[in-house]
Amino acid sequence: MQTTQSDGPVRTRAGRLNESLARWISNSARGEAFGRWISKVIALPQLRRLANGAIPWAPLRKPVSESTVVLITTAGVHLRSDPPFKLNSDPTFRIIPKDARPADLAISHQAYDRTDALRDINLVFPIERLRELEAEHVIGRLADDHYGFGLEGSAARLMPAIKGVARRIENAGADLVLLVPA
Amino acid sequence: MGLLAREIEARGVTTVGLALVKEVAIAARAPRFLYLHWPFGHALGEPGNIAQQRMVLHDMLSMATSAPRPGLVIELPYRWRRETYAPVEDWKAPSRAVISAGSF
Repeated sequence: MQTTQSDGPVRTRAGRLNESLARWISNSARGEAFGRWISKVIALPQLRRLANGAIPWAPLRKPVSESTVVLITTAGVHLRSDPPFKLNSDPTFRIIPKDARPADLAISHQAYDRTDALRDINLVFPIERLRELEAEHVIGRLADDHYGFGLEGSAARLMPAIKGVARRIENAGADLVLLVPA
Repeated sequence: MGLLAREIEARGVTTVGLALVKEVAIAARAPRFLYLHWPFGHALGEPGNIAQQRMVLHDMLSMATSAPRPGLVIELPYRWRRETYAPVEDWKAPSRAVISAGSF
């Protein structure tokens, strides 16, 4: 199922058709337009139902240089040692520790071309950049746990994982969460 | 991802999301989004372009401190593969891109 590289993340292979589709979506103007269209078709009706009521608002309580920061990606990133996400639909999350190296990671997602993200995981999960910002004291602290989600078309199915991660982040005493899409 | 941001923020933690599909970001009604018209799988830019990645992170941190009200989707001005990114000089100063695009 997986190819091995010595220093980078691994790719969970999707079927040949899906790989071609993902490459078309990421790398051509027409494919990109299709990708944007399909995202809207899937997401908009669900968001109209679920993203209602007042928009929550919690301004940052302290300077960024004193804040504890959590990173979340929905690009299918997870520890290589953890079970991969189901490629076409998976409503679960994975914890990624702050010291994870690119070679410790894998990407299991079939809806975008992972070629560049496998070359540089920071495109979808900028953990190395955030470790640098922690060392430079730009951010206060990088939290111990970060989170990866995979591809899931049903927001309702995702809600338990979403609530679980939100609870974990609150309990960890985090101040700021940065979210990066596929 | 917008629903995730809403749940986290409802628990009192500040969130900033990147978005690659503007209409979806708007419909999500999340607290703070930065939109980039860049290809899927490239929210932070091009592989190995550390200055670009740091610029986007500076924009996210600036959005965390500068956004004056909930629900803003600020469009960043960077063209895909046609920009030169200078190093971020002062991380404490808010990003000019965010301030001017958001007219804060």
